[in-house]
Amino acid sequence: MSYAAIRDRLARQQTVVLDGAIGTEILRRQVTWADHQLANRPEVVRSIHEDYIRAGADVISTNSFQLCRRALYNHFRDDAHRRHIGARDLDERAEKLLAASVRLAIEARERAAAGRPVAVAAAVTTLEWCFRPDLAPAADQARREYREIFQVMKDSGADLVLLETVNSIGEARVALEVAKSLGLPAWISFVCDEKGLLFTGETLAAAAAALEPLGVDAILLNCAPPDDITAGMKALAPHARVPIGAYPHIGRFDPPEWMFTDEYPPARYCEVAAQWKQMGARILGGCCGTTPEHIAALCTLP
Amino acid sequence: MYDNIQARLQKGGTILLDGALGSELVRRGVRWRKHGLLTDADRVKQLHEEYLAAGADVLRTNTFQLNPRIFLNVFRNRQHMRHIGAPGLEDLAPQLVRTSVAQARQARAQAGLEKTVAIAGVLSPLEHCFRPDLAPPPDAARREHEELARVFAEEKVDFLLLESMNTLAEAKAALAAGRAVGLPVWVSFVLGPEGELLGREPLEKAVAEMEKGGAEVVLVNCAPPEDITRALGRMKKFATRPFGGFAHIGRFSPPSWKFDFFPQFTDTEEWPPDRYAREADRWREQGARVVGGCCGTGPAHIAALRAWLGKNGAGSPRP
Repeated sequence: MSYAAIRDRLARQQTVVLDGAIGTEILRRQVTWADHQLANRPEVVRSIHEDYIRAGADVISTNSFQLCRRALYNHFRDDAHRRHIGARDLDERAEKLLAASVRLAIEARERAAAGRPVAVAAAVTTLEWCFRPDLAPAADQARREYREIFQVMKDSGADLVLLETVNSIGEARVALEVAKSLGLPAWISFVCDEKGLLFTGETLAAAAAALEPLGVDAILLNCAPPDDITAGMKALAPHARVPIGAYPHIGRFDPPEWMFTDEYPPARYCEVAAQWKQMGARILGGCCGTTPEHIAALCTLP
Repeated sequence: MYDNIQARLQKGGTILLDGALGSELVRRGVRWRKHGLLTDADRVKQLHEEYLAAGADVLRTNTFQLNPRIFLNVFRNRQHMRHIGAPGLEDLAPQLVRTSVAQARQARAQAGLEKTVAIAGVLSPLEHCFRPDLAPPPDAARREHEELARVFAEEKVDFLLLESMNTLAEAKAALAAGRAVGLPVWVSFVLGPEGELLGREPLEKAVAEMEKGGAEVVLVNCAPPEDITRALGRMKKFATRPFGGFAHIGRFSPPSWKFDFFPQFTDTEEWPPDRYAREADRWREQGARVVGGCCGTGPAHIAALRAWLGKNGAGSPRP
């Protein structure tokens, strides 16, 4: 388990650097993100992981955001319809691609880490759309689905789970319980609004209170603009007893792609990250729109 | 140009639609964003032109599953969209609709077919075409379809084609919206594996309701060719106006993330153009008066249909 080294660093109050965006980085490299490109362009995915490792990331996340059985099945009325007109591999596709996502991250580590401890985080988001808590499935159903996803990621060699862009305490709790039951370290990262609240209106104080007794290894904030992350850090830091962290997005969501802006070049990005560090953040990284250059800049923070 | 199409239908002719836009653009390697309308305009126009060269009587706009909801749905709410979304997303869908009509119109002008080929403005379910359970309530559907129908009317499309409609309620709302803006309306339903509407309502009832509501043509689409054949065999018994169909070929291969509409079809080689035309032969036997191609088909399929129609005298080549 490569997580031990990360756990030690966090215990010693050292900063752990998480990688930056994968999906938007695929786009920035002029490859379509209509698919995760795990099967079609694995070399692109692997090279992004390698670039983040060389930039200095201690934890790299798999290219598996939103990748799950449900995401594929949601495009059909039901099982009968899917079997009738759907591609023949759909029942196994999510599992195969999830395993491939871990394999590519591990391969990148073998090629680029040069003996430095780098952990591979299984990046998983909410089962339904990350910005839409209203669509979340019931807890029992969610539990079954998270178990399937995490089991594949664990069997494939992931060192921890990074549950990201989570929009409710309820779904975070279910996923965390599943990760812990499988013996996986788990970081839970919430998306927050400009007031520092979850998209359900729940507080980060309540989130910390709910997740810490269940053994969450870190609580983070992600996929919001830097100012919103700052609001979230203010709301979270005074209440959290576990390590906390942040990785904002920069630029603008231009569905189905991303609009890159020059608002946060690496140096400025680093300045705001330094503020979060001062507020207590021990894990820093980047979400949509960030690049290996941003991560390299974070690694220069004193 | 609708008069021309209408006259040919009245005289017993067969109208040939074009084939797929989205799945063909994806197959050609177009990066799927905003339907390619902004970033790959030349390739979209090129495809329209190829359908004209293949002999299509109707060009459909590249607007399937393009409406304001596809943008709004991926945000928490409108405020969140303004907060983190790209500028202009709120008004983007109508603008893209205008662009799509302009591109079809340019292709038609390029081919010198302004007088014979009609442009159909494509409306489709406001939510995912394969998810009848997500269909909006009728009043919202009416309002939102009318907003887009009005844009099509302003851009002077020749008629509206409601494509892959999956519930009767939304089809009725969209049909009323189209009629309200003064455009002729054709309605096409996506079939479920049972052979009825994907939303499980009976096809017979749907055809009757659409005819009552003023639909000029009722069609079935986005199901495998044999399913279309079976449905047309039934429509023959209860349709009182011209009817038709256009099948998808191959298998729908959705994206591995929660992308609303990504028209990727695999295994399309199972239905090469000649086989597709042979199946369409049976559609003509069932009395179909409008045929064409849905997802997975390309210009070669439309050319094969045109050749077949020519041989059988059913579709006097374009006047």
